Amino acid sequence: MKILSKDKVERVLDKLAESAEVFVPLSRANSSGFYSWKTRNPEKEQLMLETLNVYLSPKNVGFPQTEKMYSIIQSGTEAQIKETFEDSSPRIIFGLRACDARAIRCLDDVFLTRGYEDSFYKARRDNMVLIGQACYEPGPNCFCQAMGVDPLEPEVDIVIRDCGDKGYIWETKTPKGEELTTSISNLLEEKELKAPEAKAFQTQVDYEGVAEKLKGMFEHPIWEDLSSNCQNCGICTYVCPSCHCFDIQVKSWGEEGYRFRCWDSCMYGEYTAEAGGGNPRPTTKERFRNRFLHKLEFFSERYGYPLCTGCGRCIVACPTGINIVNIINEVKEASVDV
Amino acid sequence: MSDKCSCEQPLVPTVVEVVDIQDETPDVKSFYCRLSEGGVPFNVAPGQCAMVSYLPVGEGMFSCTWQEGQEYLQFAIKKVGLLTDELHAIEVGQKLGVRGPYGNGFPVEECKGKDMLFIAGGIGLAPLRSFIKYCFKHREDYGKITIVYGSRSYADLCFKEELFNEWPAIKDTEVYVTIDNPEEGWDGHVGFVPAYVEEINPNPQGVIAVTCGPPIMIKFVLQSLEKMGYSDDQVITTLEMRMKCGIGKCGRCNIGSEYICLDGPVFTLTQLKQLPQEW
Repeated sequence: MKILSKDKVERVLDKLAESAEVFVPLSRANSSGFYSWKTRNPEKEQLMLETLNVYLSPKNVGFPQTEKMYSIIQSGTEAQIKETFEDSSPRIIFGLRACDARAIRCLDDVFLTRGYEDSFYKARRDNMVLIGQACYEPGPNCFCQAMGVDPLEPEVDIVIRDCGDKGYIWETKTPKGEELTTSISNLLEEKELKAPEAKAFQTQVDYEGVAEKLKGMFEHPIWEDLSSNCQNCGICTYVCPSCHCFDIQVKSWGEEGYRFRCWDSCMYGEYTAEAGGGNPRPTTKERFRNRFLHKLEFFSERYGYPLCTGCGRCIVACPTGINIVNIINEVKEASVDV
Repeated sequence: MSDKCSCEQPLVPTVVEVVDIQDETPDVKSFYCRLSEGGVPFNVAPGQCAMVSYLPVGEGMFSCTWQEGQEYLQFAIKKVGLLTDELHAIEVGQKLGVRGPYGNGFPVEECKGKDMLFIAGGIGLAPLRSFIKYCFKHREDYGKITIVYGSRSYADLCFKEELFNEWPAIKDTEVYVTIDNPEEGWDGHVGFVPAYVEEINPNPQGVIAVTCGPPIMIKFVLQSLEKMGYSDDQVITTLEMRMKCGIGKCGRCNIGSEYICLDGPVFTLTQLKQLPQEW
């Protein structure tokens, strides 16, 4: 088997960064996220391959928080689309976990299926290689397995498995991965290593049957109760690796301008506010309910699996302690009039 | 039947020129758009929508009327917010962006052989009108056509020429118009649309009812139809939610697991009853 020894990780990243932008988990400014290897300040920023989940997911690599779509010129009655900005430059995400890999599959399903391919997402995704890391020791807020994700088998092009001091097992899974492996094969070794034993999950939750049960719970009083502490700050949607809602806005000055999209949040009233004054989700309760139903029921109905990947980031980020695991448990326990 | 946006860049508009603007009411204008070289950027089936983009201002989803052979797309747009205020200020010759067509459209084929009952309020006549015009173009394929339409006042009635002159003259067609409150010079019906429908009491036998208007009107019309014996499969409506992408990706226009921009905007009452009541 192919092995990446730990002292060669940085050389591999340097090599990969020659022909692609390589996103790796880094500490940065008292927080952490996936950042371009080339932008690392080695004196202040650590590579965080050992950390289970960095604070921010790699969602922005394929779906940037703000993305310019096309430029426009308007002069009097004349108007034209000047240029569109699909970005197909090569990108690699190195060290993402199975939960984040599943989230990318969610984004793939949203942006590339059901009748339309989003050209901006597609340009990025077609030129992206995923190198995922298997998880053998789930963290305190991890519950990916309950959401149908196998932490040992991230859905990626290459899987690396941390075998301690001896290095990483390097497993190539797809033709895209094969090509990448070939390009760095001189930095890999050939020897046998045994992957570690997988440890048990600390967070226990049973999602089985929840999507079906929620179908009958739209009007359930539980939403009033569960949403009562929510501040509609939207942080859960920003740190979520699979939340895909976006807004389209314009920036213009003089005769020029461009239209861009940016992450939006279903937590905000403006999100569904209609020009005529109506709003189908006017209060926290409706927004909160929609978010959790989207995660746990609606997405499952549409795509066959939930939009929550069990990464636990929203649990860490929520300033008022709202916890999706508790919500699943409460839904499980709620009594429903049949 | 539905046409579908087939472009490789579904979020990027095509530039069209506004070749005519007509005042429909004090706050509704019709905009006629075509490519500068002539023709339309895409075909539109009755009930489908398109995104109109005033390039430096914003985009909005509007019901779009087009018929085979027609050289322009028509949008009847009510002035209700930032974008529509700006659109109402443009003049003929203005270049706009359009993208689409979006949504499923009305089941015009499945309705063939049926009597049609159209019930609209205010600007809600715009999407129904594309179906009404389709029926008239294929007049032999449909039975009796009944149109019930209401607005706040006479001035607020859209498409008056068609409403009072063209449509009533077409064979086997009845047009009923009402306004909310009495006013000088109006000798027609006064009252809200749902009550008027009950008063007219069209027999449900072999009829498909199609309704669009303000959400509150739709809700009462659905109740009235149920009261008059219409089954859920006989009732069709077209919904509206705030939209940004038009292609089922940006998230906001969902009702349950359905996206109004993509899976709607047209639903039978049977389908609607399976969705959460959040519209």
